Order: sequence, then structure tokens, then C-alpha cells
Amino acid sequence: MGYRITAKQDLSPIDYFVEVEAPHIARAWKPGQFVVFILHERGERVPMSVYKAENGKIGMFIRKLGKTSLQLYYEFNVGDELYSIVGPLGKPIKVKHYGNVVFASDAVCGQAENYATLKAMKKAGNYTISIQSFENKQNVYPEEFLAKPVADEHYITTEDGSVGRKGHYLDVVKELIERDKVDIIFAGGKLGSLAKLAELTRPYGIPTITTVRQIMVDGTGMCGSCRILYGDEIKFACRDGPMFDAHKVDWEDVLRRANRFLEQEKLAKERYLEELRAKGVI
Amino acid sequence: MARRKKPKLIKEKVPTPERPVEERIKDFEEVNLGYTFELAVKEAERCLQCPAEYAPCIKGCPVHIDIPGFISKLVEYRDNPDKAVKEALRVIWTDNTLPAITGRVCPQEDQCEKNCVMGKVGDVIDIGKLERFVADYARKHGIEDELLEEMRPPVCGKGKVAVVGAGPAGLTCAGELAKLGYDVTIYEALHKPGGVLAYGIPEFRLPKEILEKELNKLRKLGVEILTNHVVGRTVTIEELLEEYDAVFIGTGAGTPKLLNIPGILLGRIYSANEFLTRINLMKAYEFPEYDTPIAVGKKVIVIGAGNTAMDAARSALRLGSEVTIAYRRGREDMTARIEEIKHAEEEGVKFEFFLQPVEFIGDENGRVKAVKFERMRPLEERDRRGKRKIVGTGEYVTLPADTVIIAIGLEPNRIITETPNLKTNPNGTLVVDENLMTSIPGVFAGGDAIRGEATVILAMGDGKKAAKAICDYIEKKRANA
Ligand SMILES: Cc1cc2nc3c(=O)[nH]c(=O)nc-3n(C[C@H](O)[C@H](O)[C@H](O)COP(=O)(O)OP(=O)(O)OC[C@H]3O[C@@H](n4cnc5c(N)ncnc54)[C@H](O)[C@@H]3O)c2cc1C
Ligand SMILES: Cc1cc2nc3c(=O)[nH]c(=O)nc-3n(C[C@H](O)[C@H](O)[C@H](O)COP(=O)(O)OP(=O)(O)OC[C@H]3O[C@@H](n4cnc5c(N)ncnc54)[C@H](O)[C@@H]3O)c2cc1C
Ligand code: SF4
Ligand code: SF4
Ligand code: FES
Repeated sequence: MGYRITAKQDLSPIDYFVEVEAPHIARAWKPGQFVVFILHERGERVPMSVYKAENGKIGMFIRKLGKTSLQLYYEFNVGDELYSIVGPLGKPIKVKHYGNVVFASDAVCGQAENYATLKAMKKAGNYTISIQSFENKQNVYPEEFLAKPVADEHYITTEDGSVGRKGHYLDVVKELIERDKVDIIFAGGKLGSLAKLAELTRPYGIPTITTVRQIMVDGTGMCGSCRILYGDEIKFACRDGPMFDAHKVDWEDVLRRANRFLEQEKLAKERYLEELRAKGVI
Repeated sequence: MARRKKPKLIKEKVPTPERPVEERIKDFEEVNLGYTFELAVKEAERCLQCPAEYAPCIKGCPVHIDIPGFISKLVEYRDNPDKAVKEALRVIWTDNTLPAITGRVCPQEDQCEKNCVMGKVGDVIDIGKLERFVADYARKHGIEDELLEEMRPPVCGKGKVAVVGAGPAGLTCAGELAKLGYDVTIYEALHKPGGVLAYGIPEFRLPKEILEKELNKLRKLGVEILTNHVVGRTVTIEELLEEYDAVFIGTGAGTPKLLNIPGILLGRIYSANEFLTRINLMKAYEFPEYDTPIAVGKKVIVIGAGNTAMDAARSALRLGSEVTIAYRRGREDMTARIEEIKHAEEEGVKFEFFLQPVEFIGDENGRVKAVKFERMRPLEERDRRGKRKIVGTGEYVTLPADTVIIAIGLEPNRIITETPNLKTNPNGTLVVDENLMTSIPGVFAGGDAIRGEATVILAMGDGKKAAKAICDYIEKKRANA
């Protein structure tokens, strides 16, 4: 079928950008939706957020984390093909005029969603505020991959204050709320931060829509791997989400379920790193 | 048709060889080895050749295969195995193009074999194994390809049809339409076609090689299969209707029902679909050679007693666990095929009856460590399906388990049922008329998508019926245009 890689570049020492030919997905994708790809015949089905879907191509931000993300980084180059990519999956977010729309993110998937969401929100006539948090100066993405062009207000934070503000998006969100600048807030990235954000906005009743990343297999509602408790109901993050009202999510379970295969993932990663070392790649 | 004159009554069925338990529980290879030609002929000779109009076996088969017809070919041409198989296959293919699969997975004891007259005096004829034999022999000896060549569509370009879902319903519908001269494209959500045959039913029951062959058959008929296309997301039914003359929906019932009881989000509690998909489709049993992980402990409890439960239990066993099936009803109410229950028992799966789970208990790492059940009691009264009703006794038991697999049923996938104007029943199945047309003109449906959880052969029957209806629909539409 040919899901060819058309671009690949480093975003930071830990994250990279990949663009893949997937016209069937690009034509239908809307912000909030994700894709699932498989690297090769023995590969795992891996869900990914989308940064851009244009000209028949899907752009993604990926963190070098375990076997799959490392293998894509080290062994797949422009011109190579992915075994499979399916999407768009999940439900799009409602793009309409809300007023002041904030997107806050502090990890790779969130940074992709930040740009994608605010681009659509700006087009819909909203005043867009982007907050992008990074650990330190090194990890800040190159200017052209930030959400700056689609944000009326753009904040960067680093933990050490080496770039932008010192602190985290939660600090900026607090200020914005105090300045009464938030009509709705979207967020993506680290699950722990999303849980905190939900608590931060809850007393103000500010609509808070966040990605709920769960371990997925099919991504189409067929396996229940991605189930969460939402109010009293069981929902499937891949089919009913992945963006949910953060105030209704049972975050404790969500955080725990992300660790279901930790031992296996560690084993696979160690084995793969060993292979790379033997080949002299790293 | 040459019928034999006076068959002598042989009461005992010719058994099919099976791999010994000790050997087979160590791998995922097929358990039953099937007949050789000699054994198949011996079994075929036992058939009394009831006249086709009365044969109870034909009535029991949902697609009405001429069973005595195909069996007689094996005996008639016993001196020429290739010819015997080719003629038998020709008979079977009139009604069923996937006999290698149905011969393996049909619940024969409830269908064709249920009323076989031989049952009155001895063992029923092993129709399923004979059907499987014909298909396997034909595949291995190139006979299938010859017959396929004869069946090539006489004309094409009679119209374009989109089929949604590559399970048995969709595959059959596509094959039939291709044979009738239509251009068919299948849209499949997953990266591999086959539906439950690919992701659900394990290798030891249905080798994937067989499915692969069946798919090649379709490709030879000119059917195009587009994987990685989720209809309702990648492309909508409305968009398909703009491009195609008609659409068939065979999206199955792929959504697992889960128990909304405390602890359902604990680690190592899987739906059978997640467990089986990781194993069958993603080959997690070969992790880390394959990238998809599975985490299974030493003590597995499987909840449910259908084919899905048996498949999950026997897969867990092959990963080295001790497995108990816990069912809320009694032994005689189990819905799995008899052969699967027998195999599971032989392989060492334990069974507990009249236990209804009420809570999953977790350890400090958020993983399941035990299941609390309420003991149930059967009543004399029966429900619509003829099963005894059950009530709670108020008595509880807790069984230790470090892995739980939930196999309590499946319902239709909601991505497709969210299509505007596509009417559904309260249980999520699609509403269809007597021609299997849905509430959207030109959109047909069949298989588990309209029946809820059913069987492979019923899905195939629907696929075939819908193909005829689609053909009529398109012809009528063209005549009126
Ligand atoms: C809706 C959604 C959007 C995502 N978007 C992005 C993105 O834009 N960029 C990005 O880098 N990552 C994204 N992820 C996470 C990404 O899927 C995992 O990081 C990836 O699977 C890791 O694979 P690995 O083999 O490299 O690492 P592994 O060692 O396999 O896993 C590392 C961690 O990733 C998570 N993970 C592992 N397997 C899966 C899986 N099948 N599904 C979900 N999470 C898993 C687990 O928390 C695990 O501990 C997203 C996940 C979801 C559900
Ligand atoms: C574990 C298990 C064991 C079983 N064992 C037996 C057995 O021994 N004997 C028996 O007769 N029956 C058995 N069954 C039941 C049988 O498999 C089903 O009745 C049968 O597969 C239904 O066929 P189908 O074509 O309707 O749907 P499925 O086989 O479910 O196929 C549906 C296909 O549609 C695809 N799809 C779904 N939604 C979309 C969408 N929106 N867009 C595109 N594609 C989509 C799915 O990915 C899938 O490939 C078993 C079922 C399970 C789960
Ligand atoms: S298709 Fe199934 S029910 Fe019909 S004859 Fe074959 S095994 Fe029996
Ligand atoms: S009912 Fe039994 S004996 Fe009679 S034709 Fe069918 S298989 Fe043969
Ligand atoms: S990933 Fe399988 S149901 Fe969501």
C-alpha cells in the first residue's frame, strides 16, 4: 500500500517529528482524532496524535520512549514505508466559537494537539492562548514546530526558567483564570498534570477537555483495553474519546492503567537497546 | 445421482486423529488432524443417503448444503481421490464457499449433525469433519484452483459494490457478488482481513493459513480488500453511496460487554477480545519476537462459557497458566461447541458452575488478585432460550486469580451504528427488512451486525442472501434509470 515516510527530523533530544503519506487519513482527519500505526509485520499497534494533516500526509510528534518509538527513530528513514496506518480514530472535538480558548501541554502528544486544536479554533474566530511546557531549554522545540503561529497569546514554560517562564502550564493557567481569561481549556500531555488541571479548574466550573491516553490495541472499540470510568459509566477512550470532560474522569485509575505492561515494555526496550549497541548504532 | 443400494449399518463413527494433550498444550498448532482420504471414505460409507428432500441433516444446515450429495461423491469415486474431492467440493461450493472454515467451527451438534438419522442407532455422521476433509484435500492438491478457474465471472462491470468489514459475512457477500459480475471493494478497519476468524478464533482451532487461502480465492475473483479503513471514520457510508451502487455492512458484533462491578479497571483483567487479539492477531505469545506484550499470571479465571471463553481459556493454558472457567449457570447451559468443551477439559481447564462475579479484588499494585462471586441457584422455570433461570443465594465465595478474562458476550460496534439515518434495535443490531436492506436504501447488512453474536455459517448465509438482493436492487435501479 505504501505509507511512505516523507520527512523526519529531531524536535529535541527526546522528541522527533515524522511525516507519513496517508491520503486516506489526511482527507478525513479533524482535531481531536488520532491514528494507529504499525512499523513492520511484527510490530505493535501504536496510537499517535496528529500534528498536521495536509496534502495527503500526516505529521506526528514522537517521543523516544520504548521499543517502537526507538526503532522508528533509528531504523526508518525518509523513503521507507510503515506497515500500516489507520485513522482517523476517535471523535473530533467540537470546533466552534467559545471566546477565549486555551490549550495547555507538557509532553509530546500534547504539543502536537496544541497546534492542531488552536489552528482550528483560531479559524473559528476564537481568541487562542497556547501554553507549552518543557523540562528545560534543550527540550524546547524549534520555533516552526511550536503553536505560536496559531496562538494570539503564546507562553513557553521551562522547569528551570531557562526559556520562557519558570514553572509549569498549571501556574500560567492559574494566572489566566485569575485574570478571567479562560472560557474553555483543552489540554494534553502528561496524565498526572491533566489530573491536576482537572482539580485546578473544577472549583471555577471552567469546561476542561483533555486527552485521556490509555493503552490501546485496535483503536476502534473492539477490545476494551482503553476503558475508563467516566462518571458511573465505562467508556472506551479510543471510540468515545480520546478527548473527555476532565472533571468526569476517574484519574486515579487512568494513571494506574498506563502501567499495565511496564515489565514487558522494559524487557523489549532493553533487548532492543542491546541490539542497537551490538550494531554500533548507539 | 448414483445412490448406493443397501448400505449396511455401521454404528460407530470413524474417529479423526487428534494430537496428544501433552504435546498440543505447548504450542498453538491445530489440535484435530482431520481425516485422510481412506478414513473419510469409511466415514462417508456410513451415511444412509437419505433423499435430499427429506434429509434432516440438510434441514439443519443454515445454508442447506446437499450433504448426502457431497458425501456420496467420496464413495462413488473412491478409486480416484482427486475426482472424488473435486465433485464433492463442487456440491459444497453451490451453497458454501468456505468449507475449510465451517467444517472446523460450525456448531455441528446443533445444526447439520443434530438430526442425522444415524443418531437413532449409533453415532451421527461426522459431517463437519468430512466437509473439512474435502476442503483441505482440495486446497492441498490444487483442486480448489481448478474449480475456481471454472467459476471465473462470466462478465464484469455490472456495477460497483462496497462491502464494509472483512469477516465471514462480508467475505461471502463479496465473493458472491464478484461471481455475479460486480466490482467489489472491501473496507476493513484492521490491518488484516478475516474478522473474528483473524483476531478471535485461535490458530489451534483454525490455522491462519486456511484463512489466507480463502482470502486469495477472493482476490482471484477480482475482489479488492482495503485494510486500515474504518467506515464511519476514514470514509462514511454516505460517501460510499456516492461512489458505489450499493453497500453491504458486515461489521460484526465486536464490542466486548464488560461487567460494571467494582475493580473492573484493575490490571490483568482483560476482555476476551483484548486477550485473543493480542494473541492471535498480534502474536503476543511470541513476545518479544513480536512487539505486542501480554501479561498473564499463573492463575487465570475466565468468566463465561461460550466459544470465546473456551478459546481464551485454552490460549491462557498454552501460555503456561492454570485456568478455571467460572460460569453463572450450569454445565448443560454452556453455549460453546461440544468439541471445544471436550478439548478444554482434556487439556486441564477446570470448570466452576453457578458463580456470578460481584467484585474484583486488587493488590497494592493495582492488579487483580481475587474474584468475589455470589453462588447462584437454578430454578425450574426456563427463559426464552430454554435455559433454567438462576437466582442469587446470598452466599459468597472468593477465588484467587492473578489474571481474569471476561467473555460474557459481545455487541455490535458503535462506530458504524452512529451513521445518520441508519436504524438500530435497542440491542444495537441494525434493522433490516426481509431482503436484508437497512433503513438506508441501497445499504444492506448481515452477520453479527444484524443478529448480535451468532455463528460463522449464519453470517455467511446472510452474505450470500444479501448478494442476491443487492444484485436485484442494482438491476432494478438501472432499469428504472
Ligand atoms: C490517543 C493517544 C495519542 C498518543 N499520542 C502520542 C504522540 O503524539 N506522541 C507520542 O510519542 N506518543 C503518543 N502516545 C503514546 C504512544 O502510543 C506510546 O508512547 C507508544 O505506544 C510507546 O511505544 P514504545 O514501544 O515506544 O514504548 P513502550 O515501552 O511500549 O511504552 C512506553 C509507555 O507508552 C505507553 N504505551 C505503550 N503501549 C501503548 C499503546 N499500545 N497504546 C497507548 N500507550 C501505550 C505506556 O504508558 C507505556 O508505559 C499516544 C497514545 C494515545 C493513546
Ligand atoms: C473468540 C470467538 C470464537 C468464536 N467461535 C465460533 C465458532 O467456533 N463457531 C462459530 O460458528 N462462530 C464462532 N464465533 C462467532 C463468529 O465468529 C461470528 O458469528 C462471525 O465471525 C460473525 O461474522 P461477521 O462477518 O458478521 O463479523 P466479524 O467476524 O465480527 O467481522 C466483522 C469485521 O468488520 C470489521 N469492522 C467492524 N467495524 C468496521 C468499520 N466501521 N469499518 C470497517 N470495518 C469494520 C471488523 O474489524 C471485522 O473484521 C466466535 C466468536 C468469537 C469472538
Ligand atoms: S456448513 Fe456447517 S452446518 Fe452446514 S453442513 Fe457444513 S458444518 Fe454442517
Ligand atoms: S441424515 Fe445422516 S445419514 Fe441421512 S443423509 Fe444426512 S448425514 Fe447421511
Ligand atoms: S483500543 Fe480497543 S477498544 Fe479502545
